[in-house]
Amino acid sequence: MLREYTGADENDSIRWTKVSEMMDGKPSFLRKSDWMVQSSKQKYIFLAFCLVPTFIMFCIFTLYPLFSGLYYSFFDWSGASANREFVGFDNYVRLFNDAIIPRTIIHDYFLVATKIIGIMIMALFFAVALTQLKIKEAPFYRIVFFFPNIMSVVVIGILWTFIYNPSMGLVNSGLEFLGLESLARPWLGSETWALPSLVLPSIWAGIGLFLLMLMGGISNISKSYYEAAEIDGATEWQQFWKVTLPLIWPQIKISVLYIIITTLNGSFILVQVMTGGGPNNATHVMGSYLYQQAFEQYNFGYGATIGVMILVLSLITVLFFQFLMRREKVEY
Amino acid sequence: MRRTVGQMLGRTGIRIPLILWTIAVLYPIIWMFIGSFKSNAEIYRNPWGLPETFNWQNFADAWTNYNIDTSVFNSLIVTVIGAILTLAMAIPTAYAIERINFRGSRFLFTLYISAMMIPMVLGWIPLFFLLMELNLLDNIYGLAIVYAVSQLPFTIFVLTSFMSTIPKSLEESAAMDGMSPYMVLWKIITPLSMSGIITVTIMNTIQFWNEYFMALIFLQSSENYTLALAIDFISSEAQYTNAWGTLFASLVIAIVPVIILYAIFQRRIAKGMTEGAIKG
Repeated sequence: MLREYTGADENDSIRWTKVSEMMDGKPSFLRKSDWMVQSSKQKYIFLAFCLVPTFIMFCIFTLYPLFSGLYYSFFDWSGASANREFVGFDNYVRLFNDAIIPRTIIHDYFLVATKIIGIMIMALFFAVALTQLKIKEAPFYRIVFFFPNIMSVVVIGILWTFIYNPSMGLVNSGLEFLGLESLARPWLGSETWALPSLVLPSIWAGIGLFLLMLMGGISNISKSYYEAAEIDGATEWQQFWKVTLPLIWPQIKISVLYIIITTLNGSFILVQVMTGGGPNNATHVMGSYLYQQAFEQYNFGYGATIGVMILVLSLITVLFFQFLMRREKVEY
Repeated sequence: MRRTVGQMLGRTGIRIPLILWTIAVLYPIIWMFIGSFKSNAEIYRNPWGLPETFNWQNFADAWTNYNIDTSVFNSLIVTVIGAILTLAMAIPTAYAIERINFRGSRFLFTLYISAMMIPMVLGWIPLFFLLMELNLLDNIYGLAIVYAVSQLPFTIFVLTSFMSTIPKSLEESAAMDGMSPYMVLWKIITPLSMSGIITVTIMNTIQFWNEYFMALIFLQSSENYTLALAIDFISSEAQYTNAWGTLFASLVIAIVPVIILYAIFQRRIAKGMTEGAIKG
C-alpha cells in the first residue's frame, strides 16, 4: 500500500521494471536470456522447492486463520466444538448494541490522534535540530532517542506503571517536589486520567523511529535550496515551512500512516500490560476488548467479530488518510 | 535582528529540549538498573535515589524463586528456533521472487507484503484452535513456528531488496560451470546476501525476544512461560508480594541482551527498522 514511494529507491525501481517486463509478453521461462539453461521441468522443481513449503506455512499460519476468523464471526462459540452454533449476523447486531464498543473505538482513535500529534511535532523538531543546526553530539541523541523503539512492550509498560505509581512514582514525586501536590493523583487508577496517561509511554517509545525517518528525508534535501532561500531573505522559520516541510512530505505521510497502523493493530499490548482495560473499561481499546471477550470470557465468535471490526476500521482509516494526505510531489 | 535571535536560540537553546528528552529516555532505564540492586525496603523508602549498597539478592531471587531461569531458557529457544526457521522459509522464497521469472511472482510478492499491514489480532482466535488441533498449544516450539511465520513478510521484503543488488553475472557464470540452482542459492546467493540476512535476523531476534501478546495467548502453563510472560506474572504478583526488587531484576535480565545487540548493531537495527517502515 505504501509502495508508491519506493520508486525513489534505485534497487526497487530496477526490480519493478524487471517484474513488469516479465508480466507482459510470452511466458518468460521460454526466454533464452534466462540464465538457467535447463529444462523447464527442473526449473519447476526448483521453483517448487523455493516457494511451496514457505507458502504452505504462510497459508496455514496466516491466511487460514484470517479467513476463518471472518467465518467464526458468524458463530456463537464458547470454545468446545460441540456447541458451535451458526447465528448469522447476531454477533454483528450485538457489536452495534454493545455500549463498550463505541468507547473502545474512541479510545483507539484518541490514541491515534494524540500519538500522531505528539510524535510528529517532537520528531520533526528533533529531526530539524539534529540535521540543520550542526550539533556535534547529534549521533548521541539519535542513538539514545531510538533505543526505546526496540524495548519490549512489557518492559516499557511495567516501567511506566511505576512512573505513574501513586505513592512511589516519579510523576507524583516530581509534582510534590515542585510543590504541586494538588495535581498528584493515581494516574492509571483514575477513569479520567488513565487513557491520557498511556499516551506518554507510547510517544516515549515511538519517537526514535520517526525521528530517523524524518532525518533521512531532511538530509536528502539539497543544500542549494536553503542557500537560495537565504539569498531571498527567508528566515529559518520560513525555510522550514517553505523548503523543509514540503520536501519531506513523503516521509511525513509514511510516518503518519505507520503510526495509524501500528496503533490500531498494537495499542492493546500496552493497554494489556499497563491497565488491562481498566479502571471500569476506561482504557479498553478494540484489541484488548477482543482479548477479554475471546480469551477471558470465551466468547470466541464475538471476539472474532471484534477482530473483523478492527480489520475493517484500520483499512478504512489508512485509505482515508492516504486520500487526505495526497499531495503533488514537490520539486523545485 | 530576528535572524540573530533565531540563531542564538538555535545554537544554544536547542540543546535544552534535546537534553531534557535524553534524561526522559535514560532516567527510567537507569533507574530500573539501580532498582534491581535495592532491597524492597529501600525501594519503598527511597524509590528514585541511588542504592546504599549493591546487592545481587534480587537477581538470585528472580533466578531461583521465580523460575526466571526456565523462562530465559524458553525465550532463548523460541528466539533461536524462530529466527532460523524464518530464514529457512524466507531465503528461498525471496530468491525465487527476486530472480526467477515465473507467472504470479508479482502477485505472490504483493500477497506477502500486504500481510504486513493486516491486523493479525483477528487471526489469533482461529490460530489458537489450530494450534490446539496440532498439539502445539502451550508449546514453545509451536510458538516459535507462529513467530517465524509472522515475521515472514518483513523478512522476505528486506531480503528481496538485498538480493536485487547482487550482480546477476555471478549466478550466470556459476550456472555455466554446471552448478545446480540449489547450489547457486546455497553457495552464492546466501553468502552474498549475508549483510541483509544479518540485519533481518537481528530484527527478528529482538522481536521474538520481546514479544508478549502471542505468548500470552498461546502459552498457558508457567513452565512454558517466555521471559515477557514471566515478567508480567511477577509484576502482577508484586502488587501482593511487593517483590519490586525482583521485578526490576527480571526487567534487567530481559533488557540486557537487547542493549548488547543494540550496542553492537546500532546502525543496522536503525536502518533495518526505518527501511522496513518506509517501504512496508
